[in-house]
Amino acid sequence: MSNLDHGKFTRVTTLFHSLLGLDVFLLFFTGYAIMFNDELWWMLTLMGGASGVTAIHRITGIGLVALVIFWITLQIISSTGRSNFSKILPGKDDIDAFIQDIQFVLGRADERHPSARQFGGYKADEVPLLSYIGKGVVFIFSIELTLLAISGLLIWSKTGLAAMFQTKAAAMAFVTFHGLLGVIMLMGVMFHIFEHGMHPAFYPVETKAFIPRSMVPEHHGDEDEEPDTTGIERLSLSPSWRTVSTIFGAMTVIGIVSVLIGSIFDEGYPVPRELAIGGGPSSILLTVGINLGMVVLGVGLVLSMYGNVLRIRWEQQLEEEREQPTAADGGEPQTDGGQPNADDAESEN
Amino acid sequence: MTAEEDLPEVSGYSRVSVLISAVVGLAVAALSLFWAQGLRIGYESLYRVNPSVEGGGIGSDWVFGNTIPALDFLIALIHAADVIMGAFILVMVFIHWAAFQRLAGQMREPGEDVSEAVAADGGSPAGGDGQGGDGA
Ligand code: HEM
Ligand code: HEM
Repeated sequence: MSNLDHGKFTRVTTLFHSLLGLDVFLLFFTGYAIMFNDELWWMLTLMGGASGVTAIHRITGIGLVALVIFWITLQIISSTGRSNFSKILPGKDDIDAFIQDIQFVLGRADERHPSARQFGGYKADEVPLLSYIGKGVVFIFSIELTLLAISGLLIWSKTGLAAMFQTKAAAMAFVTFHGLLGVIMLMGVMFHIFEHGMHPAFYPVETKAFIPRSMVPEHHGDEDEEPDTTGIERLSLSPSWRTVSTIFGAMTVIGIVSVLIGSIFDEGYPVPRELAIGGGPSSILLTVGINLGMVVLGVGLVLSMYGNVLRIRWEQQLEEEREQPTAADGGEPQTDGGQPNADDAESEN
Repeated sequence: MTAEEDLPEVSGYSRVSVLISAVVGLAVAALSLFWAQGLRIGYESLYRVNPSVEGGGIGSDWVFGNTIPALDFLIALIHAADVIMGAFILVMVFIHWAAFQRLAGQMREPGEDVSEAVAADGGSPAGGDGQGGDGA
């Protein structure tokens, strides 16, 4: 069993995922440096103050328009893309998977439902293209990114805004709307990073979104022999997993809660909707929390880059194996501690 | 077996469709840039105030300025959506956190003797912290 598990995405999809991630992270950092300028003053300064931040936000905004339109076009004009549509529709399996996840957590089910399973292992053939979470992520992120791009362009265009709103304040209210819209995306991406960074079998990063399917060897056991388990019990836990996942989980929760609270207090950039005295922005706790949230995003950015480093290393290793066919397959593809060792790989069919 | 033989056959996106999509994406981006920015150099500054609001005095403008109730409603609505989605996302974080603890309990402890771990009952060995890993 390769610890990469079965690949799912094409090379185009993995590259798109990395580019989209990079662009959205930059939009987050700049957009929320504006919205949470009380709490993230240092980020604002670091990125060149008000003019620097808004300039980067706009450039990456145009990048987002290009990426979103690219993806929509590709899904429509290619047969591979069109065949995806049925795979993102939620079905009964997804509800079952959600319920079984709760049962699994409570100890009433022995394993996660195939539609929830991130680590497929021996049972990888059962796992659909997208988990129930994956489908939800696709829906929420698509709607969010589309609305953000449209509202962002409207804000940008002076004529567009002037046509819609008579007063400055009304225009500012629309900017607020745009920023608040992004909060769902912000919280969702924090969860996404936790989900794909802290799975014990993949820690520190799940490579599915980075190493394309065409590069993942598939091993199929004897067809008549149904595997009982995914084989996760044969993998060794990374020594640092417990500590790191606990800290990172806490940071994710604090980050989500803080940006949510912050979005309620800070909403009326540049002026609060109700001119409350005191309130959120001056709170030290909130400042710490929002900054922790930004650290979570920063970790995500690093993991996304690391995923690409792993892809390059994996590619090189495949090359080497092709040059010397005598090399045993399933060697150690990754060098970090938590990964299963070569013994696991070789003992598999 | 060489690595090549067991790599799956993948029918991905064709070069042409990727190329066309890229061109369309860039073209629409360029058009929207042109629409939003015009050919002016630099970025507009009419409607924005520096993010660090020290100047003051804009507040009164705000209170009387937002004459569009629909917009107020939209903002209230999106606040509600943020809170509901936030709560939901938090639930998802906790479910995954707990599931990961249980999965970790099924795995071998770091440094655990490989030969004994073949008995794949998924239980944490003694000395584990007992989190979740009760092996059902
Ligand atoms: C702003 C940044 C990001 C965006 C917009 C984004 C978006 C998406 C979307 C839409 C999907 C497909 C749906 C799903 O399976 O969840 C996905 C999948 C995935 N993402 Fe991301 N992602 C981002 C950052 C990251 C980061 C930082 C990581 C690594 C820690 C990551 C790892 C993954 C993985 C492993 C999958 C495959 C999940 C599966 O098994 O289906 N993503 N991403
Ligand atoms: C993931 C996507 C995006 C997120 C999370 C995001 C977030 C934000 C946030 C939080 C603000 C500050 C709002 C406030 O002050 O309350 C903002 C402002 C703005 N955004 Fe975005 N945005 C995104 C995409 C875009 C796109 C695609 C565009 C344009 C094409 C855009 C253009 C703008 C503009 C022009 C402003 C006003 C900046 C100023 O004050 O001059 N945004 N955005």
